[in-house]
Amino acid sequence: MPITTTRRRLLAGSAATLALPVFARAQSAVKPRLTAISQWSAGSDGAAITALGKKFEEKGGVWQHSPVPGFTTEMMNKLRAQIIAGDPPACSQLKGPEIAAWSKIAPTVDLDSIVAAAGYEKVVAPDLAKLHKPGGKWIALPLQIYSTNMLFLSKRGMDKAKADKIPVTWTDFNALADKMKSAGMAYPLANGGTRPDDGQKFEASLAGISPTAYRAAMMNLDKKALEGPEIKAAFAQTRKIADWCDPNVGAQPYATNLKRFVDGDMGMMIMGGWAQGVLKNAGFKFDDYTIAPGPSDNGKPVFLLNADAFIFWQRKEPDLQAGQALMAQLVMDPAIQTMYSQITGSIPVRTDVDLSGEGWSDGQRRTAAALKDAIASNQAVLSLAHNMAQENGLTAAIIDVITEYVKNKTITPDQAVTRLAEAVESAR
Amino acid sequence: MTGAAATVARPAISGLVRRLPEILMIWVPLLLSAAHLISFSIWTIWISFTPSTLVPVTGWVGLRNYTSVLSSRNWQIAFDNLLLFGSAFVLLSLITGLMLAILLDQRIRGENVLRSIFLYPLAVSFVVTGTVWSWLLNPGIGIEKLVHDLGWSSFHFDWLVNRDMAIWTIVIAAVWQSSGFAMALFLAGLRSVDGDIIKAAQIDGAGPVRTYWRVILPTLWPITVTVVVIQLQFAISAFDLVRALTNGGPGIATQLPALVVYDLMFQRGQLGRGAAAAVLMLLILLAVLLPYAAWRYVQRQRVTHA
Repeated sequence: MPITTTRRRLLAGSAATLALPVFARAQSAVKPRLTAISQWSAGSDGAAITALGKKFEEKGGVWQHSPVPGFTTEMMNKLRAQIIAGDPPACSQLKGPEIAAWSKIAPTVDLDSIVAAAGYEKVVAPDLAKLHKPGGKWIALPLQIYSTNMLFLSKRGMDKAKADKIPVTWTDFNALADKMKSAGMAYPLANGGTRPDDGQKFEASLAGISPTAYRAAMMNLDKKALEGPEIKAAFAQTRKIADWCDPNVGAQPYATNLKRFVDGDMGMMIMGGWAQGVLKNAGFKFDDYTIAPGPSDNGKPVFLLNADAFIFWQRKEPDLQAGQALMAQLVMDPAIQTMYSQITGSIPVRTDVDLSGEGWSDGQRRTAAALKDAIASNQAVLSLAHNMAQENGLTAAIIDVITEYVKNKTITPDQAVTRLAEAVESAR
Repeated sequence: MTGAAATVARPAISGLVRRLPEILMIWVPLLLSAAHLISFSIWTIWISFTPSTLVPVTGWVGLRNYTSVLSSRNWQIAFDNLLLFGSAFVLLSLITGLMLAILLDQRIRGENVLRSIFLYPLAVSFVVTGTVWSWLLNPGIGIEKLVHDLGWSSFHFDWLVNRDMAIWTIVIAAVWQSSGFAMALFLAGLRSVDGDIIKAAQIDGAGPVRTYWRVILPTLWPITVTVVVIQLQFAISAFDLVRALTNGGPGIATQLPALVVYDLMFQRGQLGRGAAAAVLMLLILLAVLLPYAAWRYVQRQRVTHA
């Protein structure tokens, strides 16, 4: 792993943090300890957090991670129980607007000085930074970034369809899917049928059609934008995507189709970058598939941001406080972010990490480049399906409409637009 | 010896000592679970009137949580599904259970083995039942594919992914799971029918069908009521089976009240609304259990007065 390139930065970062009097005192007095909960228990996610724990222990800390397998909401149930019992973990996984919502129910740690010392703020995308400092102060730190609308193209599938051009717009995409279908592929798309899966189909459609409309409707819940023509067009595109997916997938996740995707029975998949970690963990090679930014009608990449983060809960114990300081340092560290992203298939939060070295895939390099371009053209938006754009209650109400629309082909795009607007209105 | 002497001297205490295991085994757990049940029910009712979201908070919002749950599409679909699922499931498991019991009652060989086989599904947890049936019913890998591979390629059985029929897959799995239970109760009932009555019917010239229909089945109706009530309360609180089998899908086509409660409380972080939905579920349960309790009361009165 190319940690050598960034070791100097790591040393600089640690020195700066050690210079802070409060943390220095805490660190010299006690052995840092960290209690953490997350949903990452198995696969590439589990491997990555275990590696992070090893690094924590190398620095002399005591790592106490309790994974809660399953959906994020199950981890939240444990977090809720611990907060109500007055015994929150020193640090827990939490992301998006939930950081702001949860920070109101229990005191969090002010990380401003430690973030400032590391000079972290200027290397984080501004929209993302905002989510982690809801009251104006840093209380949580992003760990890794994914885009939920990456386009995965199966090598064998492309060969089967005799296609070699990566689609850029939705028109290109639709043409390629048709081509694959006429080449004998019954289902050109390998997506799954879970709620977030259905949400992703819609958000990729809308953001690709118009990132401006996406921002207004999904992030700001603007009433006029919610009933606009782009939403109807997005529902129409979602229907096309749904028709190209295997209906037998039912409510199963996309991962059940990965083998058929690699074998070329299904040519494409619109999925987050995490699928790369899953593919790698399942033993498939990088050259089995190509990863490109999801379709975007204006030709410039649209990045649907999904970022995992850690929130730090206030604790009185000096060893836990020292552990929080050490954890914060590690999470911001470019070498750690490199290690983490190389295991999971994400890209680092820091925009200044060099991805040209070995250990990175072309897909990750392309994702990082897409993020840079998208930020420059103001086309980096927050993912709805993965709880980055709205709190859980609103997200669930919107996904209800989308998932019903995906599964029930008698609902017209016009009806879906009306239902979406109503659902948002009643959940607000 | 001293112990025996003391027993003679103080019969009241010895009676208490003799009854101590009974008191410990029955009353302590009963009181504890009643206290649990009642205190948490009251707490849930209280929460349903508060503006609680992520964590319980105090406050008063009146019936706002109830109106918002009742007007939500999720709840309306769940309630309709409950009516359909509840009646279909109870009726079908009753009929299957009764048929199995009557067939087993023919003094056949291997009855014990067959009875265990039919009862076995009950020993499997609902999550396992749901998962296994989700594979069997999946058109891509299950029964439909099997029949296609056998050569009947026009065979169509895609209920699991068909939103109009998906609720029936839950009925199928639930009936498979619990008709053995109904069978066991009915079989016990059939066995307790007085042999003399049956003989009398046979002497009067009644055939087997007529004997069952006119003589034996009428004695079974108290058992039928019990089975219906037990199955209904299962239907109302069904959660794990649906979660494993369809998870409320396709889309939200197979939502059931318990899923809505879980979803609101633990996935959407809306404790107040979730509690309101839970109280609504309790009301539906009471609508089944109160008439049953009243019926039992009337029965007992009649027995004691007779």
